[in-house]
Amino acid sequence: MDFNPTSFEIAPALVGWLVVFGSCVLIVCAATLFGMLVSRGVSGPSIWGSELAGTVHDIVAMSPRRVWALTGLTFREAARRKLVYVGLVFLLLFMFAGWFLSGSDLPGEFQVKQYVSVVLTAITWLVPLMVLLLSCWGIPEDIRLRSMHTVVTKPVHRSEIVLGRMLGYGLVGTVVIATVAVVGYFWIGRMLPPSAKAHLTCRRPVFGKLSFLDREGNAVEKGINTGDVWEFRSYIEGATKARALWTFDGVNESMLDSDGNLILESRFLAFRSYKGDMQRSLYFQFALVNPETGLRYADPKFKTVNEFRSRTDTYPRQLKDGEETRDLLKDLVTSKGQLTVEVACIDPNQYIGMARPDLFIRTPDAPFRLGYFKAILCSEMVMLLVVFLGVATSTFAKGPVSTWLTSVTIVVGLTARDFMGGLVRDPEVMKKLALYAGQQEAAQQGGGVFESIYRILTHMNPVTPLPEGPGYAAMQAVDNAILGFLWLVYQIIPNFDSLHHAITFLAEGFDVPWDSAVLPSIALTAGFFLPCLLLGHFALRVRELESK
Amino acid sequence: MSTNGSPREAVIEIRNLSKIYRDFWGRKKVRALNALSLDVYRGEVFGLLGPNGSGKTTTLKLLLGLLFPTEGEIRILGQPASDVRKNERIGYLPEESYLYKFLNADETLDFYGRLFNMSAAQRRERTEKLLNDVKITHARKRQLREYSKGMTRRIGLAQALINDPDLVLLDEPTSGLDPQGNRDMKDLILNLKSQGKTILMCSHLLPDVQDVCDRIAILDGGELKLLGRVDELLKSQNQTQVISTQLSPAAVAEVEAVLRKHGAEFTVDHPTVDLEKLFLQTIREAKERPGRRLVTEENVQKSAT
Repeated sequence: MDFNPTSFEIAPALVGWLVVFGSCVLIVCAATLFGMLVSRGVSGPSIWGSELAGTVHDIVAMSPRRVWALTGLTFREAARRKLVYVGLVFLLLFMFAGWFLSGSDLPGEFQVKQYVSVVLTAITWLVPLMVLLLSCWGIPEDIRLRSMHTVVTKPVHRSEIVLGRMLGYGLVGTVVIATVAVVGYFWIGRMLPPSAKAHLTCRRPVFGKLSFLDREGNAVEKGINTGDVWEFRSYIEGATKARALWTFDGVNESMLDSDGNLILESRFLAFRSYKGDMQRSLYFQFALVNPETGLRYADPKFKTVNEFRSRTDTYPRQLKDGEETRDLLKDLVTSKGQLTVEVACIDPNQYIGMARPDLFIRTPDAPFRLGYFKAILCSEMVMLLVVFLGVATSTFAKGPVSTWLTSVTIVVGLTARDFMGGLVRDPEVMKKLALYAGQQEAAQQGGGVFESIYRILTHMNPVTPLPEGPGYAAMQAVDNAILGFLWLVYQIIPNFDSLHHAITFLAEGFDVPWDSAVLPSIALTAGFFLPCLLLGHFALRVRELESK
Repeated sequence: MSTNGSPREAVIEIRNLSKIYRDFWGRKKVRALNALSLDVYRGEVFGLLGPNGSGKTTTLKLLLGLLFPTEGEIRILGQPASDVRKNERIGYLPEESYLYKFLNADETLDFYGRLFNMSAAQRRERTEKLLNDVKITHARKRQLREYSKGMTRRIGLAQALINDPDLVLLDEPTSGLDPQGNRDMKDLILNLKSQGKTILMCSHLLPDVQDVCDRIAILDGGELKLLGRVDELLKSQNQTQVISTQLSPAAVAEVEAVLRKHGAEFTVDHPTVDLEKLFLQTIREAKERPGRRLVTEENVQKSAT
């Protein structure tokens, strides 16, 4: 796995959401109040106040029956349009393009990866494309054809129209996803050769914290960089005191398999500083260490590095250590459930590379269908997010513009979010950039817009500090304000990392974890729901619905 | 003042209403309505007339909240036009039937009934009644995209009445209807009036307005030009009309002599029948007595002599 799974924490995420949402609401309120003052004079604030109260009332006083009526109308409209059926047929045909995958002589786990990737990618991106078109055109067409007039002249709040549309298109997308998911599940099962079916499982890893010892045995943050620009993995030198240490928490009996064995799964990379014996892989050794008492069990059998493929090593509960027998859980695991696994490279002047997810405790596997269901759930969240964005933008833009706006938001979220994060110095992105040698430092140089212009015009070096003075302070203050605004825009762009991870997890044969994939996806979609609803309500409320 | 002397309740109150359409940059494009003030009272049929571009439809859309006024104030049933709650008691028939073409008649009325939070039983009852009233029962399961224009207008009227409103707003209600449909629509309007409902209709088909409206307002260039009761406005004060049963030529000559003696200018002729009445009578007789019966100019002349 080429990324570091991190647990999603609800409290900080909620605080972050409140900050962003609150900031946006404050900005909108301030802008509208100012606009009212300019257009209506002294009566502006009271009109603004009554409009605000009306908006709040509309949101709070929504009728479930009316919302459900509009949901049903939307569903019927989508179902009676050919687009849904065409999209469904196209989607199924696309999935069957994987027929060309059959007959491959790749190892089983790679075949599983291929089939699962094809199905999940098709579901995750083609269904949202279909609902994107539906959701971006629904309201604009309604307004253009004036059928909206017969709805808004009933006691229907604008928020009910927006919510009804969102739920309706969401329901359409859910039905399509469910259909395609069921077909895809059976298709994977049927298409995989029998030899690969053994890999159709969901491994449940328990990851530890990774630290290193250098060649002198001193604790360091990272291992050696062997020249790779991407510093996700670092290396330990062979035949020295250099070690990679994984510390696991919460180790107990439930992590052992049915035979009471602890299973370690690993996938390391090898770096040869000299050719050596090319017929043999590099050797490494495991040692299980109690981090409290320092008691060690060094596995006498050396292991070989299986590059690009994982290996599993089994340790029984009772370990033979020379003349003595160690109980894995009682002797090597602390009272708090901590266990350290040490990896040492055996071959001198050779290096073994690892990252945190490259070694884990493999707990009893979950059935494939469970992980598949969770990955589908993540796809469902993406689909709903597209619906929310599409409906919201369609309340103030016509169909083509709404489609473009929503598409751009999604594409930027998929491809350019890290770039934006580097610009606004988001801590998470800076951590990612730090994996690329020199990137973090470069992102911090040069200042904001006006400071950069000043530096360019005066040929000033990016690392030279600015002179003291009120003018320079004002320039930096303006830059910080712009940066703050950009940060807000950056936060509005959805982060699809959790979705990428969901597909990768399942394709690589892992269970899709709730805390690092499913929960972030749900939180992402839920976080966009209220702002999109409010935006849609506000846009419909302030615009004249008479089509021009 | 009502007929019993008590002040009449204004269902629609418009004060100094103006509407200016602006372009994307906020520049003034056209003043569609200029300081319009009028009231519509409970229980009357009020006609809003005017040539194309006079501001009738703009007024209607301002009442419904589809447009926002530039200046002025509107109150409907005591509430501002922008208040969604007033829509509980109004019904609106648009000029074209902007309904959802993929629904059938049953689904259409059920959907709009839900928007009024009506229960399933209420919706069923109202749907049955309205489909019977507008005579669409035979086509209730067909999608609206398959309906003729007349049928679409009728289902449009049905959705406007789904909530049994106190105030009905009709935009060109008889537009596109055949004479029978036209008559049915007018009868329906008069029936609604007899139930105590208030109707505001926009039209440029003057005979239809004359048949049903109690009061009218004539707009031109966005301004109110005339307002008053139809019967009073249309009365010709400086003429007298006498209609009698068939008179003999001698009786006609005597009448003419009397009129000449008083210095009156006059014409004596047979009154003409309303073309609508003639049409409806012919159709009715054709249904009652099937088989061809051709009425020609020759036949008419023969029967006259």
